[in-house]
Formats: sequence, structure tokens, C-alpha cells
Amino acid sequence: MNDQTRTQIETTVKNNKVVLFMKGNRSFPQCGFSATVISILNQLGPKYETVNVLAEPAIREGIKEFSQWPTIPQLYVDGEFVGGCDIIKTLHASGELAKLLGAEAQKVEPPKLTLTPSAARAFEAAAADAGSHVLRIEANAQFQYDLLFADKLPGDLIVTSQGRAIHVAPESARRLDGTVIDFIEGPDGSGFKITNPNEPVKVKPLTPKALKAMLDAGDKVELFDVRTPEEHAIASLAGARLLDQPAQTYLLGLDRSTPIVFHCHHGGRSQAAAEHFLKQGFKTVYNLEGGLDAWSQTVDPSVPRY
Amino acid sequence: MSSHPTDFQGDILAAIRGAVEGAIKDARCEVTGGNGHYALVVTSPAFTGLNMVASQRLVYSAIAHLMKGAAPAVHAVDSLQTKTA
Repeated sequence: MNDQTRTQIETTVKNNKVVLFMKGNRSFPQCGFSATVISILNQLGPKYETVNVLAEPAIREGIKEFSQWPTIPQLYVDGEFVGGCDIIKTLHASGELAKLLGAEAQKVEPPKLTLTPSAARAFEAAAADAGSHVLRIEANAQFQYDLLFADKLPGDLIVTSQGRAIHVAPESARRLDGTVIDFIEGPDGSGFKITNPNEPVKVKPLTPKALKAMLDAGDKVELFDVRTPEEHAIASLAGARLLDQPAQTYLLGLDRSTPIVFHCHHGGRSQAAAEHFLKQGFKTVYNLEGGLDAWSQTVDPSVPRY
Repeated sequence: MSSHPTDFQGDILAAIRGAVEGAIKDARCEVTGGNGHYALVVTSPAFTGLNMVASQRLVYSAIAHLMKGAAPAVHAVDSLQTKTA
């Protein structure tokens, strides 16, 4: 290791209270051991820096000599070498790591979570079989949810709604703030419905039956057919406007809160169109699942299939 | 676990055990693993009074020569336990 590398490492560990030398970065760790340490740091929530040794070969070799430690990742706190993945896991399990990060561990506020009365009743029934497990909800960065009875974990935030304690790991907390958990029983089965205001806007799938119900109820929706004029002539859905040039101009002139439904023959082309118009700022965009073909099979057999 | 080719010739488990037991006083070393990834349990009175980092450094320095180079015999130590008795 040359002097420049040594100085660079010394400065890095001195100027950052918590710094991890790792492969990749916190969003894309490029090795399982680095990923494990990142996940632990994210659970404890301190402010931390990372150094990607894959991008800096001199640091990659230098840090091993500097720490007298042969492997990556390596965690430094207050200028002191704490350990690699194995030691971090051990210190985390014993609670010593949280103590070591101490004041540096950010206080994450518990999120606001709401259970509807029907969700509370459903959990009440499920809790009877859950033993020592607690109700837990998590949301990952892609806003995929875990809603389950599982073990308590150190560092859990605990929120109570309808008298039911809900555990949330600190890394999920901000994503879940304001989430409402409902339980819906319907003819097609029952299940939990999670409504999260932080979720990025997505194209909503719409079944033919649900579209029929919307139209029957007189809901104000704009319905567009993204197929070719030839296909539109063969078979079409009453009230659906062919998305030609004038229709596109009309659509783009609409208020962005207007609910819009796109359909095609089987649901593929309309999904692409729906995603396109979502990017134009429309907030409520539906794609008819299975397209006109599904509509004719489940709602209106008078529409010819082709 | 991923596989990591090595240019090391011979019995890697025996080489690790030999290196650790040769370098640390009265050490007993159990090694398991393969394909570059190994797990070690080392017992020695030499760890008495040392913290985890210091204990593990003793072990790592004993096997440092096996972890060096582009295609080392030992790519990673997945688990390392040090005990005093």
C-alpha cells in the first residue's frame, strides 16, 4: 500500500463515523457478505458511508493491510475496525452493534398504520393460531408487501390499531406511513387489501366484470381502444373510442385525474398504452385484463371473437 | 455458494488446519467446506482475553498465505468461531 492509499483510508475512517468498505454500493451490493452487512445497517438505521472497493483496486488491497483483515466487507465505527460480516452478524444478534452505533442510530418514527374493523377481526381469528408470533407488515423498495404472523425482531417499531399491535422493521417504516389495511370478502374469495399513499402510481388491472360494474354505475371513465381500425371494425366494445390521432389529442387535453381505461384484443398492447399515458401524468389508468376477448367471454357474448 | 477455481495443489482442508495449528499455540482447528468457501472452529488458550476481532486476526494471519493472489485456495471464510476451551 502506498502513502496516498493509506492517507485516503485514514481520512475516510476519520471523517465518517460509520463507514463500510464493501463490494458494490448500498443499493446494489455485489457480494452476499456485503449485502448481509448492508441489511443489518439498514435495520439499525445509522447514517453511514460506503466505499465500493470494486471501483478502487488500490483501496481493495490497501484496506486489507490497513485493518490486518483479509476479507471484504469491513466496518469502521469511530475510526475503529469493528469486523467483517461474521462479526457484524454476531454483534447484531447480541445487541452490541446497536449499542456501538448508539447515538448515531437514527431514530425512525413509527409509521401511522390503520386497520379497518374487518381487518382487525380477520387478524383476531388468525392470531389464535399464531402462538408467540406477532403481526408484521413490511414493504420492500419495490413496494411488495409482506403481511404475516412472524417472530419479533430487535429494533421493531410497534404500532397499535384497533387494539392490535403491528410490528414493522425500521427500514419499512417510512414506506408504510399512512397505510390502511382492509379485509375484503367478496364472491371471488376474501383477502387483505393494502392501500398505501406512498406507493408509486401504477397501471391498475381491471377485470371485464369490474369494468361492466363501473359502466353500469355510470362512473365517469374514458374508454379507449388501442387496436387497429380494422380490428375495431370487426368487433368493438360499446363506448370505447378508437385511439386514433384526434382521440389522442382529445385524451391529452383531459384533466389528469380523469379515470382512463385502455383495451385491446388480449390486454398486451393496451398495457403498453396505459403505461405510456401514466407517464403523461394521468393518475388513474386502468388496463382491461384479457382485452376484448375476455370481455366477450365473460360479459357480452354478442361481441364477436376473432 | 459460488465456486472459485484455485491454482492451489493439494488438500486445502489439511493445509488450513495445518497452518492454524502450526501458528497458534495449542490450537485445535476443525475445518469444513469446499469450492473456496470454508468454515473454521478454532480452539486455543491463546484467545483468552482477546476480543473477537483480535482472536480472528490471529487465525486470519495464520492462513493469510492461503488467501492471497488472484486464485487463492481460500476465497472466503464463511464462518469463523474462536473458543478458549
